[in-house]
Amino acid sequence: MKKTSFLFIILLFATAAFGAADTDSLWIKGNDAYSMGEYDKALEDYSEIEQNGKISARLFYNIGNSYYKLNKTGKSILYYEKALKLDPSGKDIINNLEVAKLKTLDKIDTVPEFVMATWIKDLRNLMSSNNWAYLCLVFFLVTVLLLLLFKFAPNPGQRKVSFIMACLSIFVSVVLFLFSFSLYRNSVSEKYAIVTNSFSNVKSAPSTDGNNIFIIHEGTKVELLDKVGEWKRVELSDGRQGWILSSDIEII
Amino acid sequence: MNLIFNDINMKPLRLPKRIAALFVLLFSVSFLSAQSLTVEAPQIVARNEVFKVVFSTNTDVESFSRPAISGATVLAGPIPQTFHSTSFVNGKRSESYQFSYIYTLQASELGKVKISPASVVIKGKTYSSKSVTIEVVAAQKNNSGNQGQAYSGDPFDDFFNDGSPSGNGHGTITASDLFLKLSLNKTRVVKGEAIVAVLKLYVNPGIGVSGFEDIKFPVFNGFWSQEIQTPQTVNFSRENYHNKIYNSAVLRKYVLIPQQSGNIKIGTSELVCQLRIGSSGGGNSIFDDFFDHYQTVKKRVVTSPIMVHVLPLPSGAPASFKGGVGHFSMKASLSRDSVRAHEAASVNVVISGEGNLNLIEKPDLRFPADFESYDVKTNNNFNSGIKGSSGSKSFEYPFIPRSKGNFVIPPVIFSYYDVEAKRYRTIASDSLRFKVTKGDDSTAGPVIQGIDKKDVATLGNDIRYIVTASPHLVRRGAMFVAGWLFYMIIILIMILYLFTNALFLRMIKLRGDVRRTKNRKANKIAGARLRKAKSFMKDNDMPQFYEELHKALLGYVSDKLSIQFADMQRETIQEILQEKGVSSESIKAFTDLLDICEMERYSPKAEEGAMGTIYEKAIDVISNLENKL
Repeated sequence: MKKTSFLFIILLFATAAFGAADTDSLWIKGNDAYSMGEYDKALEDYSEIEQNGKISARLFYNIGNSYYKLNKTGKSILYYEKALKLDPSGKDIINNLEVAKLKTLDKIDTVPEFVMATWIKDLRNLMSSNNWAYLCLVFFLVTVLLLLLFKFAPNPGQRKVSFIMACLSIFVSVVLFLFSFSLYRNSVSEKYAIVTNSFSNVKSAPSTDGNNIFIIHEGTKVELLDKVGEWKRVELSDGRQGWILSSDIEII
Repeated sequence: MNLIFNDINMKPLRLPKRIAALFVLLFSVSFLSAQSLTVEAPQIVARNEVFKVVFSTNTDVESFSRPAISGATVLAGPIPQTFHSTSFVNGKRSESYQFSYIYTLQASELGKVKISPASVVIKGKTYSSKSVTIEVVAAQKNNSGNQGQAYSGDPFDDFFNDGSPSGNGHGTITASDLFLKLSLNKTRVVKGEAIVAVLKLYVNPGIGVSGFEDIKFPVFNGFWSQEIQTPQTVNFSRENYHNKIYNSAVLRKYVLIPQQSGNIKIGTSELVCQLRIGSSGGGNSIFDDFFDHYQTVKKRVVTSPIMVHVLPLPSGAPASFKGGVGHFSMKASLSRDSVRAHEAASVNVVISGEGNLNLIEKPDLRFPADFESYDVKTNNNFNSGIKGSSGSKSFEYPFIPRSKGNFVIPPVIFSYYDVEAKRYRTIASDSLRFKVTKGDDSTAGPVIQGIDKKDVATLGNDIRYIVTASPHLVRRGAMFVAGWLFYMIIILIMILYLFTNALFLRMIKLRGDVRRTKNRKANKIAGARLRKAKSFMKDNDMPQFYEELHKALLGYVSDKLSIQFADMQRETIQEILQEKGVSSESIKAFTDLLDICEMERYSPKAEEGAMGTIYEKAIDVISNLENKL
């Protein structure tokens, strides 16, 4: 049984790598250019991969690094955040994001989260969505096996134990599925954006006539709430809201 | 400040020969040591002034070849003179010998008198003097007056009052006769550029200066200053200043290095001169002259303040600029090429050149990370001169390597401001490569114990490097949990469950049929056996009865518990019954009954009544078990 699931995993990667011959060479070219210090060339190559519709946390991480080296802090933060969406526990990504954030101007206090929520989030972020999904399948399989044991065990003691185990196992499996799916939802959601313009006026209404409420600078993360034409309603991590031009921000 | 007055004034020649000889003696004492031909001549003379040029040596001369003299007429000479003296000082005899040729010259034209080198042959060797150039300036009135008087007066007069003002004595001393001047070689400098300041006293040759008092030297606020010449005696020499002949004396020479930019004022300095002026009331007697014929007049002279314009250094100084202004070179070297771990060594950086060496700070030197470095020792080896300081300044950077290996100390970079080129120059040494070999453990041991553990110092903040491994690219939005495959696998597992479940059920059914029929029939068989046993009881056939009862009991249990008849051991039965949850009393009743059956089967003396109760018991036990199983 385990063998087949492994086979599936391998199959999955194989499909991902399928038809990626040119992206592979672009990847290598980009890495070489980066190592030579030609960050703009590296960026071109990486971006081409992205335009081909292929993404990965590592690709976004490298793009973020290239932008950082080109002194485009906002863009680099954008791509680190994108990378984090795909791999929330990437240590290198988190580190570089912290370094890039040192260059930003805005200091915004974040509203503290409920502690349990943070713990659960941290737990969820321990692994990628795919890994949770694989584990979920493994637990599901274990549940099934335990159910069989429960049904056909020769004596009542064994049956009792296997029943309890099966209950636990199906619970874990469901939790893992929720983790995996939540991460998936996170990665496809377009809930957050990064300011990529060097500064941006946040207005009280979605028009140029609106009063300026505050100014945010490159690299600041905002939550998207609403959209009217060219304007997007955003909320800062400290809870303040306003309207910002869509061209000033980029969705993570 | 006490200055010894020593007026060695080149007086115009107006002396008889014997006096001249004495004069020469006074003059030439200091030249006796070297065996060479020296030439003595004034630097400046007035037109029509009679002056002398003396070529002298301290040994016998075999021949003298005359110098070519242009611009002046030779009035007399060369007149050879010898001078020999022997003296006993504290019982020591010292001898001096002087041989000179004296020219008496007069320049009638303004311009320059050139005297080419003269040469002498001494013991077969030829020695040449230096060539001399004498400036001829317009004659001053005082001088001519003096000259006129000199020839008429008594010889002693001149001798004893050498340099005294004879003609000028009655007049007042004007500012142009006596002044103090502080001159700078430049007044527009950049910060850090050296300036030479000379404090000079100018005196009209006609005035005699007998001493100084109350000297106030200038104060150089805003400058780093150092005296580079502090003569213990005041030596006057002739100098042409604004086309006038003066006796000038350097009182102090300073090198100044501006420490701040802007216009800096150098304050005044002053001094009181004691001048000898001939009194008018003196008689003509030789004694009058000899004794107190002159009166001493005090005069205060003050320099005028000077403004120095100090420009700041241009912007854009390199990071390695350490305040050096001038012209420098640098050398970096290791005290040893090969160092053992835990042994002290040092890097020496020597900066040499001219400029404000004294103000240069140590260049930065970066040691490899796990080297221990100590305070830098600075050695100065320079003299203050007209360009600031010249020489070298060395910095010693001691260090102790703590691990073995090959190390490179990056080049030492040093920047300075080049005054002449008006820009910053950066010089770099070669990088220093060396090998640290394994240290002696016996000496290393105690040293290591003293090492403090240090936190790994963060040197800079930079992002981590890119990932170069496979990128694991996937289509946008493609995730395992959201793909069909995930759900396919779940469904597959469910199907697997159902399939396995069905399979197991089927297997159990197949196997369970035999057992279940046995189980179901167990009661019937037991009943049949019991009935058989009852008929034997009626026949009073005790062995048959007990045998049948025994069979009935064992057969029932065997069928009920699906135990093979061969495995029927008393212990196995007990265990299985216990597992099935049968109470120990029932088990005991069952086993007791079995025991009775086995015993009574072969017992000859059986009681008839017993069979009935045993039979009842057997029915009880079986029905009891039937309930439990």
